[in-house]
Formats: sequence, structure tokens, C-alpha cells
Amino acid sequence: MFQGLQFEPVSLPDHAEALRSEVREFIERELPPDYLRNSDFNTGVSAEFSQKLGAKGWIGMTWPKEYGGHGRSFLERYVVTEELLAAGAPVFAHWIADRQSGAQLLKFGTEQQRQTYLPRIARGECYFSIGMSEPDSGSDLASIRTSATRVEGGWLVNGSKIWSSGAHQNHFMITLVRTEPPSANRHAGMSQFMIDLKSPNITIQGIKNLSGESDFNQVFFDDVFVPDEMVIGEPGNGWEQVVSELGYERSGPERFLSAFRVMVEFVREVGDNPTEAQVALIGRLTAHLITLRRMSVSVAAMLESGKTPVTEAALIKELGNSYERMVPELIRQLVPGRTSLRFRQTLEECILHAPSFTLRGGTREILRGVIARGLGLR
Amino acid sequence: MNDQQQMIQETVSRILRDHCSKEVVDAAEAGNWAAGLWQNLEDNGLTLAGIPEANGGIGGDYADSLLVLREAAGFAAPLPLAETLIAAHLLALAGEQVPMGPLTLATGDFSLKQEGQGFRLTGYASEVAFLPWAQVLLVPVAGGQPALCRLNPTDITATTRHNMAGEPRSDITVDTVLAAEAVSAMPVDPLTLCMNMGAAARAVQMTGALTSVLNLSVQYAMERTQFGKAISGFQAIQHQLATLACEVAACQRAADALMTSPEALSALDLAVAKARIGEAVSLVTDIAHQVHGAMGYTMEHSLNLRTRRLWCWRDEYQREAHWEAEIGKLVVAGGADNLWNLITTAS
Repeated sequence: MFQGLQFEPVSLPDHAEALRSEVREFIERELPPDYLRNSDFNTGVSAEFSQKLGAKGWIGMTWPKEYGGHGRSFLERYVVTEELLAAGAPVFAHWIADRQSGAQLLKFGTEQQRQTYLPRIARGECYFSIGMSEPDSGSDLASIRTSATRVEGGWLVNGSKIWSSGAHQNHFMITLVRTEPPSANRHAGMSQFMIDLKSPNITIQGIKNLSGESDFNQVFFDDVFVPDEMVIGEPGNGWEQVVSELGYERSGPERFLSAFRVMVEFVREVGDNPTEAQVALIGRLTAHLITLRRMSVSVAAMLESGKTPVTEAALIKELGNSYERMVPELIRQLVPGRTSLRFRQTLEECILHAPSFTLRGGTREILRGVIARGLGLR
Repeated sequence: MNDQQQMIQETVSRILRDHCSKEVVDAAEAGNWAAGLWQNLEDNGLTLAGIPEANGGIGGDYADSLLVLREAAGFAAPLPLAETLIAAHLLALAGEQVPMGPLTLATGDFSLKQEGQGFRLTGYASEVAFLPWAQVLLVPVAGGQPALCRLNPTDITATTRHNMAGEPRSDITVDTVLAAEAVSAMPVDPLTLCMNMGAAARAVQMTGALTSVLNLSVQYAMERTQFGKAISGFQAIQHQLATLACEVAACQRAADALMTSPEALSALDLAVAKARIGEAVSLVTDIAHQVHGAMGYTMEHSLNLRTRRLWCWRDEYQREAHWEAEIGKLVVAGGADNLWNLITTAS
């Protein structure tokens, strides 16, 4: 069998299901009943909500207690994340810090970094952005040009990062930089820096997306000083670290739940008297969703057992993104004659965001390449 | 997988690798019963895997039966394994001894009435699988007192054709008086049970065949050279195969939920599997044939043994539209605000 195509059957354990009820009660209490966000993970930002989640122990769940974590399993974390997403909770402030930046610090960071930052992240107080892409390096990450030169006590960073969601609100950005000039080995000579986004000489410029929102940014570094204690892992090990991040970034329920609210509202619209075609479509989309969710649970179990499911994660993201894009496209064809404003807004918001689904976190083309590698084709 | 399942999987694979050559499948398609292959599997107890020992089987549960089907489908075994195993489960449920040899069943519109010392069975069914090669035909009857009737296939008026996979499928009309001992009372509605076991079987068979199609396609792409390099080196091909792999992985995960007893199997899990896997057939066979080029369109290449079966199996025991509607009805009945709960409770 091919590497990365084994999604072992896993059922969520009882204690994870017990946690689910607790999360649902919390959501019901904390979100107003007419709360109408889409289930897209990067639409809602609320520091207050993130801190409440932190107080519940639902950020940094899998990290050791000594770093402010809660020593819980990836399967429990899975339940919390999917419940929050399905409800459209405003989770984006802490999302990236919880999902991948914290994991990076835990895995590659110094003891001092872990002790300083992980507890703050887990409390829902410290937010991270991703600094990977550059204007001339979209998917071709190895071609980045943002560079760091050695100075007394640290590094001076020059260049710019783009598509960094939330950089205008967040505290830090884990930034991939060249610490050595490019060589024959394209993946060598890169490092990850944890850059304080309030540092001098940083300019953050919002970029409006096609729906008119300013979520992502271009971030400019003009001789930005990064002290040695903010280097993550070994200088030169950046590529390996970035790759290990992707298993976390790509396999979660946010890769197939972005259009979930559209489905919910569609079911509401068709009511008690749906047409056969509407019933069949609801059934078809549900079959896809249930299957994707099972695959994602399988990957959560792999993360729990310490594996690095790079191909599986790419596969879920590719399949999940295609599904997310299919949902509004198929539903719009079967919209009932008279619909609520709420339904139309939800559908249109999803259609406007849909192009990003297959771009963010790795484009469809990159993911297919990763899967092809798993198949032994490259 | 438990030890018995591990053993079943290994034994089925070994026997089929050694004895289910393309020649054997071709011969079956030409009308020759694959007696040797059947005998080999039967001698190893595999045609009754998952059937209680008390009824003549080798023990285990329906998951064991499904495992045999998944493996066998990967080799396009031209045998009524699914039909035999389902029939055997029904017979065991009726408390009957399961005979050796291939069995089949007719799911259709039948009614049963007491007549003298026996019963009159009337009705019809279409697409009865492997009837000419079956030693016993079972007819599950749902109405009134649920019953399971045993018939001799040679006593039946049948019109037999070959389906797209070259397997015999028969339309039958029955109007016959059966002896009392040929009719067993059933503790449950045997027709629904049979339809559900059949859908689970086809879903699992499709998964086995889809997995095999992925393997063949990857292998072919690595061997076939064009423009001076293996076609696996072309990004267009890599992306097609990645898409194929996504579908197959999803199908495997959808089929996992079926690997349980029919009693424990939820209606939702079954519907999800048959709908999702059936839907994948179109895309997977499209890509596999495209990657294989004209070579894969020939009778000579063994790809078609899998793809032609897939095109049949997705239609049998109800097409995707039926199962999608079953799921849709559950969702609509629960209402919008229960949708998420329904999804998270599906195993």
C-alpha cells in the first residue's frame, strides 16, 4: 500500500464525546442565539472569546501542563475544534497559535521560549501569524528571499511576507527566512524566526480580498532586529520545521467545514416539504462530510501517536477543499423560490470566500504534488 | 483487524493471486464456471467466512464475510461470493444448515401463501446474480409472516443475460408450490436485511476494486514511457492520480464503518458508504482509463475486469440517488439545527 493513504478506522473515545457536550453548552451560553457567522475558521476574531476558551482549557490542549497546556489527547482537541467551527465561533485570533505555532515552539523551541510563550498562548492571550509566502514566492517556498544577516546578539531581517492573515492584530509571526544564501540544495540555509510584530522597522499593509474584507496582509521588514532568543530551532533547519508544521495545518476540520453553515441554512430553507432533488443533494453532501470527518479523526489519532501525517493531511485538505467548493455550487442550483435574507447572505459569503479554500494552507496544485509523492510518482 | 481477519485476508489474497488469473476471469465470462477457484476457496472455509460454526461456517461475523469480498473484488473473482455469504447469513439466521457450493438470492416482489401442506410462492425479480451457477436460490419474503424460501435454480423460468461485467444476471418469474421444509420462518424482515447486506457487500466490493484500480494505474504510469520519460513524471498525470487516490482513500474510510455485524450497522453508515463509494466510481474509472490510454480500453488489459464490475456494482442494491435520499430524509426529519449532531453521531 502507498505511503500516506492509510486512514485507520478510529472512533472518538467516550471522554472525548463527554467533552463535546461541555463545548456545546459553552457555545450556547457564550454566543448569542442569532449568531450568524459562517463556519469558516478565519472569519471571526474575538480576543474576549479566545480568552474564555483559554480559561476553559481548550487552547493548547495537547501540550504538557508545565507549559500551560492541559495534557489532553489530539482526539479531545479534535472535538473542541470541530464544535467551535461548526458553530461558526469567532476563533481566528488564537487559531494559528493553537494549531501550529505553539506546536512548533513545543517541538523545536528553546526551554525559555516554551515557558515564556506557551502559557500565554494557552490562556488565549497571545496570537500568531504565518510568515511563509512572499510576493515572488507563493507556492515555491524554497525560493524565498527574505534574509537575515548576523549582527551582535541576533539577526537583521530584510524582505517581506505576504498573505499573512491577522498580522495586523496578532502579536508574533513565525517567519521563514534565509540565513544563508541559496545553494544547490534549495532547502538548506533557511530558519524560522519568531518575530514580534510590534518591532520597530516593520510595516504591515492590509490587502483587501474580493469580498472587501481586510484579513490578510503584506508585512515589510526593513532592518528588523531579531534577538537570538527568538530563533526557533537550529538556524538552517527551517525547511524541515516548516514541513512538520503542515500536518497540523492541513488535516483539521477547518479544511472541510468552511461551507457547513450553508448546508445548515439550506436544510432550514427547504423545511418540511423539500423536493426529491433537494433531499438527494442534502444526502449527498452529508455523505461526503461524514466521510471527510472520519478521515480527519483518523489523522488526529495519528498525531496522537506521534506520527507526522504529511501526505494524509494533504489528502484531507485536497478532498475537503473540493468538497467545500462543491457545497455552495450545488446548493445554489436548488435554492427554493422564496428564501430568507439570512440564507442568501450565508450562501453569498461562502461563494465569495470559496476561491481562498483551495489556496490557503497550500494550493490544490501543491497538495496534489504531495499526494503524488506519497504514491511514489515523484 | 483480529487474528482471524488477518488470516482471512492473507489466505484470500494468496489463493486469488495464484488461481484467479485473467484467463480464469475471461473463461467465466465466456460461460465457464470457475470450479477450481471456487473449490479452493471453499476448501479453506472462505466461502462461509463469518457464518456460525453451528450452521456449517467457520465462525466470526459479517465483517469477516465482507473482508473476503473486499479482497476478492481486488482480483475481480468471477464468483457469487457476496450472494453466497448473504444467503448463508440468512440461512443461519433462520436456524438452517448452510449447504456447500455457490448460493444466490432473489430480491424482488414475492408473496407466499399456505397451500395444502406447503406454500405457494409467486412473484418476480430481476438481475438475480449468478443463477445458472447457483445450487440453491433463496427468496426472502417480507409481507405477512417473514420467510425465507429455498428453491432449486433449475426449476425456475429465467431469462439470463450477461451484465456489463460479463457476469450472469437473470430475470425470474416464480409461481410454484414449495414443500413446507423449503420455507423457514424468519425472526426479522429478511428482504430489508438482504438489501442492506447486499448494499454493504457491493460497497465493500467496490472499495476492493477501486483500490486495485489505483494500484494498476500508478503501476502503469510508472511503466509507460512517452516523450522520452515515464508518464508518471508528467504533472498532468500526477495530479490525475492524486485525485484518484483521494477518492479511493475516502472510499476506504467510508467502507470501514461497514465492517461490523448487520445488526450493529446503522442505516446512516450504510447509506453513506453506498452513496459515497458509488459516486467515486465515475471519477475513478474516468481517470484510470484516461491514464491507461487506449491500452486500458482493450479487452486484453486487466483494468476492465475491475472497471466493468464497478459500473455494475454501483447500480446493484440501489444506486447512489436512493441512498442519498435515505440520508437526506434523515437530515430533513431532524431539521437544520440537528444536522451537526447527526454528523457527529455517525461513528
